[in-house]
Amino acid sequence: MPRSRPMKTRWFSDSEGRGRGLRRDRAEAPAGPLVELRDVSLKFVNYSDKAFTLKRAVLELLLRREREVPNSEFWALRDVNIRIERGERIGVVGSNGAGKSTLLRLLARIYPPTHGTVAVRGSVAPLIEMGAGFNFELSGLDNILLNGAMLGFTRKQMLEKVDAIHEFTGLREFADLPLKYYSSGMYARLAFGVATAIDPEILLVDESLSVGDANFRAKATERIRGLMQRSHAVVLVSHELSSLRDLCDRGLWMHKGRLLADGPIDEVLDAYREATAAAPAAPPPDAAAEAIPAPAGAIG
Amino acid sequence: MDVRNQPAADEAVETFPAPPRARPSQVWGRRLAEDREELTRFWPVVHNMVSQELRVRYQRSFMGFLWTLVNPLLMMFTLSMVFSQLLPMKLGDGGNYTLYILAGMIPWAFMAGSITESSTCIIQAEGLIRKIYVPKLVFPLVRVLINMVTSMLSLVALFLVLVPMGARPSMAMLFLPVAIGLTFAFTLGLSLIVATANTFFRDCGHLVGVFIQAWYFATPIVYPVSQFAEDLQWRFWLNPAFYFVEMFHDVLNSGRMPQLSIVVIAAALAAVSLGIGYAAFKANEDKMVFRL
Repeated sequence: MPRSRPMKTRWFSDSEGRGRGLRRDRAEAPAGPLVELRDVSLKFVNYSDKAFTLKRAVLELLLRREREVPNSEFWALRDVNIRIERGERIGVVGSNGAGKSTLLRLLARIYPPTHGTVAVRGSVAPLIEMGAGFNFELSGLDNILLNGAMLGFTRKQMLEKVDAIHEFTGLREFADLPLKYYSSGMYARLAFGVATAIDPEILLVDESLSVGDANFRAKATERIRGLMQRSHAVVLVSHELSSLRDLCDRGLWMHKGRLLADGPIDEVLDAYREATAAAPAAPPPDAAAEAIPAPAGAIG
Repeated sequence: MDVRNQPAADEAVETFPAPPRARPSQVWGRRLAEDREELTRFWPVVHNMVSQELRVRYQRSFMGFLWTLVNPLLMMFTLSMVFSQLLPMKLGDGGNYTLYILAGMIPWAFMAGSITESSTCIIQAEGLIRKIYVPKLVFPLVRVLINMVTSMLSLVALFLVLVPMGARPSMAMLFLPVAIGLTFAFTLGLSLIVATANTFFRDCGHLVGVFIQAWYFATPIVYPVSQFAEDLQWRFWLNPAFYFVEMFHDVLNSGRMPQLSIVVIAAALAAVSLGIGYAAFKANEDKMVFRL
């Protein structure tokens, strides 16, 4: 794909504007890494009152006083450097609150980075939260079309997929029923069916994708594996180490927003398991070293 | 949750989006180009949202989509009853007072509705914004477009009542698309400003309603300008909405082309509003997700 201008400084996907021809790019030769994160940090600030009021803004402006120190700052990601090449299957591990989900959301363009740059080449399919953008007043079919539009498909392209989606979810007879009358299981199945109906270049999968009954779950797992095989790059977040070992070839270990380890999946998982088994509550050795203000850059 | 709003001066270099090394004009040029690309890509989303919102609005009602037409008709009937029977006023240049009100009401309802709805559009789309990437420009645009469709239907309804009221189509009505376009641009700009402001300062939402109400009475919609003494009429020139409403008055009620000066000022106002609105929205777009 000839690129007329450098896109590195953009934190968002640059293939999205090149039309919806997801398959068109596929045959062409790769140009650089699919995903590149450079010194990416992301900070959340908890204000004591959630709303940032006009009064405060005016006072701060008028009095030119220092911005009050917010109640808590929280670096969800800190100096993360990742390059994802074509064909890589990446598994992300880490304890709760390590920044795994934030990383996925950053790649899905939901959060912009506070510092650093994110460059993503290719269409992104976020299997992060199911049912994003569903409208409960609309029928199942309309929701499929609407969601498809948000994922970058025209009505026509989506209408071609509708049959396969119904086939997969088994909700064909409810297609004209407004979503608000769906049971939660049906809703989850529909959401999953739509989200996985597309062929992405970069697939982002968050854990806890177990939806529906056992039968559907087996189908879902199979479908995700199929999707993973078809996509150019996969980032999978999970707590199930065995499935990560199965599915991925490269591992990322995150701890408190930092990238602790980046390497072949087996090594990373072994190190992670060792660290968590030795002291489940205490931070792993590397992190302990970093607790002292340390220069950026962990193992990876 | 929040990303810090403004980085300290010494950090400004490494903040993101990447520091504009190029001239600002190039930065905005790039943003415009990107937005054009994105909006083309997400146009199906806009289309879907508008059509489905309209569909849901009249779902399950007996008359269904007919309501979009009947509603403005009934509204016009009420308005004309109130203002021609209860509170009659004299128009300076003859013309039909009822028609005068209706002609002014259509652009005003479009502006007021769009701005009010846009003020909460980002907050209401929280579920979407936090889960999936959609260009945020889509949300105010959808609100304005929905109001646009409704007021176009009101316009159709107005044409239906024009004939029994004695008005005839005139050449001046060819100017309508221009007037509509200018009003659209002006309203979209204001909507973007309001949407941005209310996302960061929730207090704004409460003010918008009151402000719109006050603005309504400050604009010659239910009263003609000629009600006031000549030497006081210049005060209306300070009201930006005046020019837009006046274009519709001229075309629909008086059946003449609006004065060139009014059109030029309206165009300038539309450009300024759209420019400021777009700049304000784009500059804060990235931070919105943290303010929800």
